[in-house]
Amino acid sequence: MSVQSVEKKLEEEIKSEFPYADNVDWNEVYQRIIYRYSTPHGLQHVKEELYKLEDEGEIIVHHIKPENNPVEVQTLNGFPKKIPTTKLWHHKSCGQCGHIPGYPTSVFWMMNKLEVDYLDEPHQTSCTGWNYHASGASNPVALAGVFVRNMWRAYETGYYPLIHCGTSFGHYKEVRNMIILHKEIREKLRPIMRKLGMDIVIPEEIVHYSEWLFVMSKKAAQQKKYDLSNIKAAVHTPCHVYKLVPEDTIYDPAVYQGRRPAAPTGTVMNFGAKIVDYSTWWDCCGFGFRHILTEREFSRSFALFKKVIPAVEEGHADVFVTSDTGCVTTLDKSQWVGKAHGLNYNLPVLSDAQFAAIAMGADPYLIAQIHWHATDVEGFLRKIGVPVDDYKEKFLQYLQDLREGKAEPQYLYPKHRKIDFYLALPDRVKWYKGNK
Amino acid sequence: MVNKALLSTLPDDPRYLDASYNVQGPLPEEDRNLLSNLKPEERELAKQFWEAVKSDFRFNEYLRGCLNCGVCTSGCPAAKFYDFGPREMIQYMMRNEVDKIWEFVNKKVWACVQCYTCSMRCPFNNEIAGLIMLLREYAVKFALPSAKEVLAPYRRVLLTVITMGNQVTPDMIQPDAFPDWGPQAVEESKNMDVYRKAIPVDLLQRTDIGWHSSLQTAVEIMTIFIESGVLDSIKKIDKDLYDMIMDIYEERKQTLEEIKEKWKKGELKEEDLPDSWLEL
Repeated sequence: MSVQSVEKKLEEEIKSEFPYADNVDWNEVYQRIIYRYSTPHGLQHVKEELYKLEDEGEIIVHHIKPENNPVEVQTLNGFPKKIPTTKLWHHKSCGQCGHIPGYPTSVFWMMNKLEVDYLDEPHQTSCTGWNYHASGASNPVALAGVFVRNMWRAYETGYYPLIHCGTSFGHYKEVRNMIILHKEIREKLRPIMRKLGMDIVIPEEIVHYSEWLFVMSKKAAQQKKYDLSNIKAAVHTPCHVYKLVPEDTIYDPAVYQGRRPAAPTGTVMNFGAKIVDYSTWWDCCGFGFRHILTEREFSRSFALFKKVIPAVEEGHADVFVTSDTGCVTTLDKSQWVGKAHGLNYNLPVLSDAQFAAIAMGADPYLIAQIHWHATDVEGFLRKIGVPVDDYKEKFLQYLQDLREGKAEPQYLYPKHRKIDFYLALPDRVKWYKGNK
Repeated sequence: MVNKALLSTLPDDPRYLDASYNVQGPLPEEDRNLLSNLKPEERELAKQFWEAVKSDFRFNEYLRGCLNCGVCTSGCPAAKFYDFGPREMIQYMMRNEVDKIWEFVNKKVWACVQCYTCSMRCPFNNEIAGLIMLLREYAVKFALPSAKEVLAPYRRVLLTVITMGNQVTPDMIQPDAFPDWGPQAVEESKNMDVYRKAIPVDLLQRTDIGWHSSLQTAVEIMTIFIESGVLDSIKKIDKDLYDMIMDIYEERKQTLEEIKEKWKKGELKEEDLPDSWLEL
């Protein structure tokens, strides 16, 4: 067959396979494909615009400095993300402090143990993201104001904000993008911030504590007190940690070949437990923001049927580890009620912070505060060799003494001054650090 | 059949990416004649509502097209339990179906659990959960009866978050409200005081707030909510709640100013202050 006839045949074949090819304006098709797969603002990462606005004097950027001893990791798109490891300002979670107090105290305890410099202040509000996603009773300017006010308080202390809650983390990433990409928000926000004596501050990276814990986990695991090699751990990665602004979530080739977020799975692995998989690993926990408060028939059914039962029946898990406020609450509180239908599940649920702190020898009651959990955490502790009964006896005595006024409360860091509960004074860091 | 003639009729709006524009794109109301199914008193409001949502600065950023592939709904937790699916919402939005959007807002939009699975999976990069939030936000702004109904049991949470900057309080876990959380929750609620005292961080030792924020912080967050117009929406939804919040604001603002003034003059004696401003 001659070359010409081959080409002719090829042309005919192409024509029969792609009958519309001649009639299509390919340039337009390319434009549309680019549109479909691009970000709405044609930016690789919003940080490009962040630095531009900083140069123009539009915003103040809270940079991660060498004194924060940052570690560089990879995000979903392969871009680097700096995780500061010390000199941290705790942005606490309302749900954790309210109902899972052992969650933040485990973080503080580990930081003490790892000699990490930190600041925890009464000058912080919650992100109000829980309220927003539940009720819709907020608006972009209010959300931006709440974010910037908290970030300003961290900025003025020189300590870098570390976000405890998964929803705060995801929500703040969204709010950050909105402030950076929309001038009209900045224009409405600025006068409000000025009224409070503040300006628009945005941290260079929004960092979740689980990312901090992941990058610290190898070092922390050196202080491990109990052997976890017989433990099968199922992990629930919180939706708001990796589905909200996914490009800012960190991944690691060593964790499921980078097919799952690095935290908290990588943390659990680095502490030596065996990770077990289950088919609904990607699913939501059932929290639902408003649902957990006023529509719990959904939350408890979803948590039990779609998360706990698969983790137990498929993964034969000994413990469920997760890294967000809502997920710990929902997974933990939704199991007992299953008894009403003969579903006797009692899989212990812990945050990665509690899991790691307990493995490092933290007091399960005083520090990890496991008595706030509804599931059988004690059973898990016995399995790894924690002398639960001794700790429990000591803690019950402590409660008794507190009740009778025989004991003074113990603290992980010095108590705040009385004035700190009223005003945010400029000398507060000096006082606090001088006192330590 | 796809040809140049059809492609050339595509609108500038890149959301209508493919040749199915003739079935995906908005139909003029005269052709659909569905708006007429709405009650006369709802018609205008439904139109105003939809126009307001579409004019929000986030709308075009969040709605980028739809293949009708259904990936959003297949991964949706709420779709497994409720008569709800993100795809149906996106399709109504793409087709400008005011009546259907109105129905969706009033009956279904509150079912979403805001997990963002749909947003992460959408092949068009639609911010689907964000679109749902837009509908909810405007439902509150328009004080729709469905929003009022949904927010009624949520009053206390709104009061706490706006006046103290904390969504939840430890003492909200009452045995009669949370019996499904099991005996441990009952035990906690009975002995809340001592359990909170046994938390080794001073900010966490109260039963009426997640952590003890400063008075200045509480006034600042109320200022943000007021100045940004959130309270205007609350006023329409729940006038009593609005009045309560404004009273608290005025009172706390005044107390804060007095304390600040004294501190500036060097006249503030710390020992004269109560342990907590919450007891003032």
